[in-house]
Amino acid sequence: MRDRGRLMHDRRPRRWQAARALIAGRRFRLRSVVALAALVWMVWGLYFVRADQRAVVLRLGRVAGAPVGPGVHWTWPPPVGEVVKIRARETRRLTVGFAAPDQVLGREAMPAQAEFLTGDRNIIAIGLVAQYAIKDPVAYLFRFGDVEALLRGTVESALSAIVMRRGVDSLLTTEKVAVQQEVHALAQETVERYAAGVSILGVSLESVAPPEAVREAFNDVASAREDRDRIVREAQSYANEVLPVARGDAERLLRQSEGYLRSRTTRAAGDAARFGSLAAEYAKVPRETSTRLYLEAMEEILPRMDKTIVESDAGAIDLDFVRRLSSPP
Amino acid sequence: MNESVKRSVRTWAAVALAAFLLWSAFVVVAETEMVILTRFGRPTRVLREAGLYPKWPFESALRFDRRVSIYDPRPSEFLTRDKKNLVVDSAVCWRIDDPLLFLETVGDQVGAELRLHDIVWAALAAALGQVALEDLVAVDPDRVQVAAVVGGVREKAAAAAAERLGIEVVDVQLKRVNFPEQNKQSVFARMRAERDRIAKEYRAQGREMAIGIQAEADKQREVILAEAYEKAETLRGQGDAEAARIYGEAYARDPRFYRFVRTLESYRKILDQDTTLILSSDSELLRLLEQGQP
Repeated sequence: MRDRGRLMHDRRPRRWQAARALIAGRRFRLRSVVALAALVWMVWGLYFVRADQRAVVLRLGRVAGAPVGPGVHWTWPPPVGEVVKIRARETRRLTVGFAAPDQVLGREAMPAQAEFLTGDRNIIAIGLVAQYAIKDPVAYLFRFGDVEALLRGTVESALSAIVMRRGVDSLLTTEKVAVQQEVHALAQETVERYAAGVSILGVSLESVAPPEAVREAFNDVASAREDRDRIVREAQSYANEVLPVARGDAERLLRQSEGYLRSRTTRAAGDAARFGSLAAEYAKVPRETSTRLYLEAMEEILPRMDKTIVESDAGAIDLDFVRRLSSPP
Repeated sequence: MNESVKRSVRTWAAVALAAFLLWSAFVVVAETEMVILTRFGRPTRVLREAGLYPKWPFESALRFDRRVSIYDPRPSEFLTRDKKNLVVDSAVCWRIDDPLLFLETVGDQVGAELRLHDIVWAALAAALGQVALEDLVAVDPDRVQVAAVVGGVREKAAAAAAERLGIEVVDVQLKRVNFPEQNKQSVFARMRAERDRIAKEYRAQGREMAIGIQAEADKQREVILAEAYEKAETLRGQGDAEAARIYGEAYARDPRFYRFVRTLESYRKILDQDTTLILSSDSELLRLLEQGQP
């Protein structure tokens, strides 16, 4: 062996020196490459969090520290560390009973999707929108697999429970606001119990209506109510017209009769006065007054009539002859 | 030359082998996972918390999702105590609690959902079969026991799942309770009939009230007019009486003269152009015609 080595050493001194130099050089390059790679790897650990984001930092799989706010930060690069960013400020919305345009449904959309059972065993169609936001990024990311599905189920269950306690009439009219508040409260309570890291900001009923199949009948009830009010109003306006007219007629009747009374008595007084003065005159000069009155009357009466004057001792009067005489030829 | 190349190759190989050994001596468990370490198929250790753990290189890691999953089965029909059909759409929130038991009995998510379906279905059928429809659906909020029913289902399912599958049932959500499709038509018919009845009632109410108002107004009008007529006639009567009194008083002063004047006036009215008058020549009126002087 030694022989061989010495022989090699002896036989190729220049080649060995060249080889050593090559290896030494390669090692130097290797070291510098490794150093460069390490540097690049460390720089890879820098990350940037925007104002509307939060970042959860994992180190060796485990959550390391509280969620990180906006700014430039560094952590161990992968595979040692990992950074998960979420939009923390965003208000997200989910719908129950109808599909929002941006949603993809797991099952086919049907009108039955919006149908809920009410407390009086009727069916009502409801569309609801809930808004929520992320409160605890760590819980949101790591505790539940599909938080959106969980929330949708929670809100839908709350809505079902509350609608099953109420009648269809109150739901359609007076109870909308109360239902929104109750659904919000119940859903929020459940979500807190789950500790899913989200909070429900608000719930609003986009549409509450009778199902399509019975909508006409429901609308007819509203028109029937209006009809009733209208008929009553018409009757009342009739009454409002009739009574003043009647009172007016009554007034007129009374005034007429008062007028009659007055005129009758006045006329009577007038006639009495006229007769009185005539009678006084007659009392003073009876024969002259009566003669005058008689002649005045005759002057008025006689011209109008057919007259025939016969001798006082004529005896029987031939009325035919008289008539022939007085009739025109 | 060969030697140096061989040596560098050997060096690189050694480095690679060392790296591989180093890499396979550790396992990273993510926050969303639990890991069972198996040695040639036989489970050795369960790692529940996230982090870096050492392991034998020949051990492999089976990963399980630690998070709560939502299983949403298709709606099923159930019968209540009072024989009413209901279609219930539920959702089950579950997570793996005991990975070893889970691995033995279930194995994977699909299997878990199948087994959960049966457990939850049985619990729901039992719970719903014990309540009447009016215990679930009623206008009186005190009557409704939905929360109690759901709580019962959850407990029952949780117990069965934990014992048999290593699964923790976090919650069972009763998302929707409704009538089956074939019953809905009769429900709609009933709703329509009810609405028609209410509409008829409103309209009849309106007519009744209107007639009442009109009749009352008419009655009051008649009363007003009758009272006025009575007063009017009284006044007229008073007028006539007063006039008669005045006349009587006046004429009573000279009844003979009154008779004279009044007769003349009636001559004026009675004797008109249709009258034929035959006068005697010795009437007082015509005396002057014969005699010619007063």
